[in-house]
Amino acid sequence: MFQRFATHAMGTRFELVLEGEGEARARALAEGVWEELRECEARWSVFAAGSLLSKVNREAPSRPVAVDPETLALLEEALECWSATGGWFDPALGGEMARWGFRDGTAGEMAVELAAAATPRAGAPFVLDRAACSVAALRGALDLGAVAKGFALDLAGELLRDEGVGCALLHGGTSSVLALGAPGGAEGWSVALAEGSEAPRALLRDAALAVSCNSGRRKGADGHLLDPHSGRPTTHDALAAVVAGRASRADAWATALCARGEEAAASFIPGDLQVLLRPSLGGDAWRDLSTDHSPFHFPLPATTGIR
Amino acid sequence: MTRTDRRTFLHSSLGALGAVALTPSLAELAPLVRASAGLKVALFGAGRQGRMILQELSKIEGVEVVAVCDTDPGRLKKALRRVRGLKGYATHGELLEKEQGLQAAIVATPTHVHRGPAEDALAAGLHVYCEAPLASTAEDSAALAKAARASDRVFAVGYLARSNPIYKLARSFFRSGTLRDLVSLRAQDYEKSSWRQTAPDAAREKLLNWRLDPAFSLGLAGEKGAHQFDAYHWFLGRYPTAVRGSGSVRVHKDGREVADCVACDLAWEDGLHLSWQGTLGNSYDGRYEVYSGSMAAFKLAWTAGWLFKEADSPTQGWEVYANRQTFHNDQGITLIADATKLAAQGKLEDGVGLPNPPVHYGLANFIEACTDGAEVACGAEAAHRSTVVAVAAARAVREGAEVVIDPETFEVR
Repeated sequence: MFQRFATHAMGTRFELVLEGEGEARARALAEGVWEELRECEARWSVFAAGSLLSKVNREAPSRPVAVDPETLALLEEALECWSATGGWFDPALGGEMARWGFRDGTAGEMAVELAAAATPRAGAPFVLDRAACSVAALRGALDLGAVAKGFALDLAGELLRDEGVGCALLHGGTSSVLALGAPGGAEGWSVALAEGSEAPRALLRDAALAVSCNSGRRKGADGHLLDPHSGRPTTHDALAAVVAGRASRADAWATALCARGEEAAASFIPGDLQVLLRPSLGGDAWRDLSTDHSPFHFPLPATTGIR
Repeated sequence: MTRTDRRTFLHSSLGALGAVALTPSLAELAPLVRASAGLKVALFGAGRQGRMILQELSKIEGVEVVAVCDTDPGRLKKALRRVRGLKGYATHGELLEKEQGLQAAIVATPTHVHRGPAEDALAAGLHVYCEAPLASTAEDSAALAKAARASDRVFAVGYLARSNPIYKLARSFFRSGTLRDLVSLRAQDYEKSSWRQTAPDAAREKLLNWRLDPAFSLGLAGEKGAHQFDAYHWFLGRYPTAVRGSGSVRVHKDGREVADCVACDLAWEDGLHLSWQGTLGNSYDGRYEVYSGSMAAFKLAWTAGWLFKEADSPTQGWEVYANRQTFHNDQGITLIADATKLAAQGKLEDGVGLPNPPVHYGLANFIEACTDGAEVACGAEAAHRSTVVAVAAARAVREGAEVVIDPETFEVR
């Protein structure tokens, strides 16, 4: 029997599905997860002037800012993904995001826009001092929207595992998904990647899925994703689905691949990721960019036209 | 449903022009910055509130949290991941014995175990910040207040309305007669939560779920309502003489005895009443207090506040330019700390909600009291009086009866 719980956090709706837990314990587990998510939001929200991230954006362009070990780990993940994607995932586009109207207007955003305008956007987005647990030399302004939600899911997953939960599905806004184990009798949690019965599905077992799609929040005719290299909104409408061991890694790579669009090639993608890319919204061709198919998390190529 | 938050306010706020004469200090809103060497602080208790305290202390310069204790290994592990170099201990006794150079302790243990750790910290010569309510019994509360009075250390209590910039601003209006004749008081704390924590075994479950244990818990009225009752005490400058209560388990029928839906009526000797409701079954409109007077009303919601004026209320010059928000058929003037300065910077809308959670301002006040001798927003004796009311409210709910509050119990002897 499944139990479903939901909450609003980090600007989206999170849902937790549990199987095989007593009702009171299941609710308590869900509330523990919500608590974890809200603590993440309190630190990493770009919308809250009092958040740690806002402090980093205010101060780290000019001096080192101490952060907690979890935030350091999040920034390490972001930096690693920035490097590995050749800058197609860029966590320091906060100023550009605000300038292009991808957020509603707040003082924090105006501040990050000013910060971004004042600093040339080149080179690494920031420098980490692991010994001092601090971040410095911030280029622009951080917006961790494309990695923090996944990182929060990873922390929540760790919490659930620590509590002895072996079977759960947790997603944030349906675009970031973390699966623990598999529901009774199944190989994994089956998650549709798009609407329609022909849409491919991901089969997840102890894995994370992220889907990035250049639609939704729109600014005029453009999508909501920025091309980090031009600093302008991307014009294509690709969809990228990435399965990885960690939700944060899946999140960042899905964003990078979606931003790169049709030009994304298998050689660009690390072997631990499995990737499906739909280059355009109207097209029905899904490209499998994975290099390692064992175990394959997108198991329905025959019926869904994956090539 | 979500709690109203700052972003929602900003979406719905109307114009923000010119200077507005609602002006406590902007310094209260900013994280406390000081150049002196860090105050070395220990945290007792690493539950949800403890972790929030760690988070807020990290924003306050001049503070170094060096150690934390919690009897629960899972909570301790979580806290240790939140601060680099933090040392962890199972008990506050071990922490006090081994940590050298501590200057202050923050007590965020369960309410019924505030007294021992707080008294031990005072005895060790530390300044103490204690979460509210002060204790789960009037006797423990009085004893702790007495220990605090006998000490030359700073003792601050986390009744957070008193350090909240928006509440301080509203109180200044209240005290100057903006509402005129007080008509009614009502408040609520609505949250959707079971209050239950998971635990690896039955013994730990009992310990962690102290709020569901009728032997220790002050329930919704005593644990949550207490903070709102204290706001009224602080505004009015006087305390209720009786409290009626009722409660039942309507949502979380998991064998608990502590009510998840509660109503209280606090009565003052002049006939004034506060109607308060709390629930763990619904989150609509969250937590707020309303003060209704013959000329205006306040709605205060901890990170934001509004003034609603009657049509026949005198108009002040600054109101023309004030930031307003619409609530169904009414318009509320947003209570913005240091509005004049923000207006001059063209940032009045930024001040609609507090940038930090209320506990930030309580901690900042405590740190400032320790380092610069600032006046404590809520000291032990005021906290004791509010704790007496909290204990009475909890008993009234438990018994479904009226509890008369003996004024003698407010005294610390």
